[in-house]
Amino acid sequence: MLLEVRNIRKSFADKRVLEDISFEVRSSQAFGLLGRNGAGKTTLIRIIMGVFPANEGEVLIDGKPIDYETTKIGYLPEERGLYARKKIIDQLIYFAELKGLSKARAIQSIDYWLDRLDMSEYRNKRLDTLSKGNQQKIQLITALVHNPDLIILDEPFSGLDPVNAALIKGIVSQQIQEGKIVLFSSHQMNYVEEFCDNVGIVDHGHMVLRGNLHQIKREYERNKLVVSSTQAQNIIGDCKGISDIVSAIPMDEYKVMLTLTSSGKKKEIMQKLSLAYDIDEMAVYEPSLNDIFIEYAGGTDDEVEEGGDVK
Amino acid sequence: MKQFKTIMNFELMNFFKNKIFIGITVFLMLLVAIVLFIPRIVDATSQGEEPTPIDPNDLPVVIVTAPNDVMGLVLQDVLQQAFEGSYRVEFTHDDAQSIETLITLGAASRAFAFEDWTVYTYYVKNISISDYATAVVDGVIQNLYRLNSMVSAGMTPEQAQEIMSIAPTHETINLGVDQTNNFLYTYIMVIALFMIIMLYGQMVASNVASEKSTRAMELLVTSAKPISMMFGKVLAACAAGLVQIALIFGSAIVFYRLNESYWASDEIISSLFNIPPELLIYMLVFFLLGFLLYAFMYGAIGSTASKLEDINTAVMPITFIFIIAYILVIFSLASGSVDNVGMVIFSYVPFTSPMAMFARLAMSVVAWWEIAISIGILVATVVTVGILAARIYRAGVLLYGTKPTFKEMFKMLRN
Repeated sequence: MLLEVRNIRKSFADKRVLEDISFEVRSSQAFGLLGRNGAGKTTLIRIIMGVFPANEGEVLIDGKPIDYETTKIGYLPEERGLYARKKIIDQLIYFAELKGLSKARAIQSIDYWLDRLDMSEYRNKRLDTLSKGNQQKIQLITALVHNPDLIILDEPFSGLDPVNAALIKGIVSQQIQEGKIVLFSSHQMNYVEEFCDNVGIVDHGHMVLRGNLHQIKREYERNKLVVSSTQAQNIIGDCKGISDIVSAIPMDEYKVMLTLTSSGKKKEIMQKLSLAYDIDEMAVYEPSLNDIFIEYAGGTDDEVEEGGDVK
Repeated sequence: MKQFKTIMNFELMNFFKNKIFIGITVFLMLLVAIVLFIPRIVDATSQGEEPTPIDPNDLPVVIVTAPNDVMGLVLQDVLQQAFEGSYRVEFTHDDAQSIETLITLGAASRAFAFEDWTVYTYYVKNISISDYATAVVDGVIQNLYRLNSMVSAGMTPEQAQEIMSIAPTHETINLGVDQTNNFLYTYIMVIALFMIIMLYGQMVASNVASEKSTRAMELLVTSAKPISMMFGKVLAACAAGLVQIALIFGSAIVFYRLNESYWASDEIISSLFNIPPELLIYMLVFFLLGFLLYAFMYGAIGSTASKLEDINTAVMPITFIFIIAYILVIFSLASGSVDNVGMVIFSYVPFTSPMAMFARLAMSVVAWWEIAISIGILVATVVTVGILAARIYRAGVLLYGTKPTFKEMFKMLRN
C-alpha cells in the first residue's frame, strides 16, 4: 500500500496554513513528520484523515483518492482525551464500534491490546482513576483496536516512563513490520531516527526538507571531524598553524570539532593527527536529526500564533 | 448510518445509566403515585370508624347581640341555620368591650353586633384569607329583610318564600372548547414542554462542550462524521426526554386508573386524565419539533464553547427567546384569551409555536389549516436549523480558544 500526499494547500480564512505539501509512504515504512509547534502538522494530519478538505491537492492510496470507508486509519492525537468518567471497556468499545467493528470483535481486540499493554486489570475501572501514562496507553488502544492500515501517531512517547516507552516502541516496530504505514510526528528526534527511514520537515506551512534520513545526512559535506583526545586542548592550539583546517571548536574538555577546507583533505589530516597525538576516537561528523531540524526549522523565531495549529 | 446508530446508542446509554437521570425519574414517579393514592389511603384509614356526630357544644361560638330580645332571637335562629355544623350561635347581651375581651381570649371565635336589621359590626380575632362569614350573614339578613318587606306589603309568607327560592334552570351549548376542563392539562403540558426542552437542551450543549474540553473530540471528529455526532446526540436526548415523560405520565395514568373511583368526585383531577387523544398527538408533534429545534441550537452553541463554564453565557440568547415565549403563553393562558394578537403571531413563529400553537388549539378553536401552516413552518425551520447547526458544529468542535463572534459563525455557515 502506498500513501501519497500531493501538493496540499490549505488556508483558513485569509491565513495560509499549508503550501504545496507532498510526500509518500509505503507499507512497512514510517515517515517522520517534523515541524515546530504551529507549523501545520495537525492541519496536515486532519486533511489526510478527511476531517476537512484541502483547498488544493490530493491524498491518494495506491494512486486513487483515499476512500475512508475502506482505508482504516488509526490516530493517536497529540491532545489526548477520552471520557474521563466512563468505564474504560465501555468507551473502548464505543470507539471501536465507531471504527466499524462489531461489538464482539471489538471486545476481542480490546482484550488483546489491554493484555499486550499490561492494562487488563484496569478494564472495568473509570478512566480518571488511571495515571497519565496509563491513560495514554488506553488512548493508544483506540488507535490500534481496528487493525488500521495507516497509523498516525502524534507524540506517542511524551509523558511515558522508560519501561512504558520501551513497551510502546516494541508495539510500533511490530506494526511497521506487519506492513502498516506509520506517520510519526514527534519532537523527540531520537525516536524519529529510530523508526523513520524518511522524514519531512514542515516549517511555516512549507515542506522545507524531505527525503531519506541517511541520504540527507550523507549529503552534508563530510568535511568535519570530531576528535576525542586527552590532548584536545593541544590540538586546538596547534591547529591554528595548519592551513587545511578552517576552524577548531572545542565541544567539551576532551573533544574538538575540526572543519576542513574540503572533504578531500580528510585522510591526510586524520593521518597527521593520529601520528602527532594520543587519539581516543576520531570520526567524520554526521549531523543528528536534531541538528538538521534546528537548521531547517529553527531559522526565524516568530512563533506561529497560538491556535493556528488546531483549527 | 451505522455510526449514527452507534453514537445514538452510546448517548442514550449515558442517560439511562446516569444516576441523576434515574433518580429524578423515579422520584417524580413516586411523587405522582403518592398524590394519586392519597384519597384511597385517606378512605382506608377512616373506614370502620363511624363518623361521630359532632357535639354542638364543641363547636366554636359565634356571639350575636341585638338592640332587643325579639330581634336577637330571630337572628340567632337564622344564623344558626346558616352556620349549622360549623359554629354554635349564641344570643347574648354583651357590650362591645366584653365582646372584644371574649374574642381576644378565644372564648368566642367571632361576633356580630346588630344595631338594626341591616346594620351590624363584625368582630374577629384574625381575618383569614377565606373569611366568608360576613358574606354569609349579609345573604341571610338580605333574605330576611326582603321576606319581611314582601310580607308587610301584603303577601303571604308562602308566596314570599316562593319568590325568594326561585331557581332558574339553564342549558349550555358550547360551540368551542371547554376551558374550565382543559386549562389544567394545558398548563401542565406547556410547563412540561418548557422544562424538558430547557433541561435537555442545556444537557446537549454541555455534553458537546465537555467532549471538547476533555479533548475526546480530537478522536471523535476523526472517527465519526460531525453530522452523525450532532444528530446522534440530539436524537438520543430527545428519546431520553420522551422516555422520561412517558414513564412519569404513564405511571400517573396507571395510578389514576387504579384509584379512579376515589377521584370520581374531583372534577379537576378527572378532567386531567380525560385528555382528548388528538391533543396528546399534537402534544407529541409539537414536543418533538420544538425539542429538535432547540436541541440543534443548543448543540451548535455547545460546539463553539471551549470550556464548560462558557456554556451558560453562550446559550443565554436562546434561553431568553424561549423564556419570553413561555411567559407570554402562560400569561395568555391565565387571562383566558389565548387568541390574542401576540399568541396568534407566536403560534406561527417557529421558536415559539410549539408552546403557543399547542396552547391555542387546546384552549380555543383553531382551523386545521392554521395548525398545518404552523407545523409546516416549524418542520422547515427544524430542517434548516439542523443543517446549519451541523455546519457550525463541524467547524466549532475544532475551534479552541476565543469564542467565535456571530460574524465568524456566519462564515462557518458558508464554508
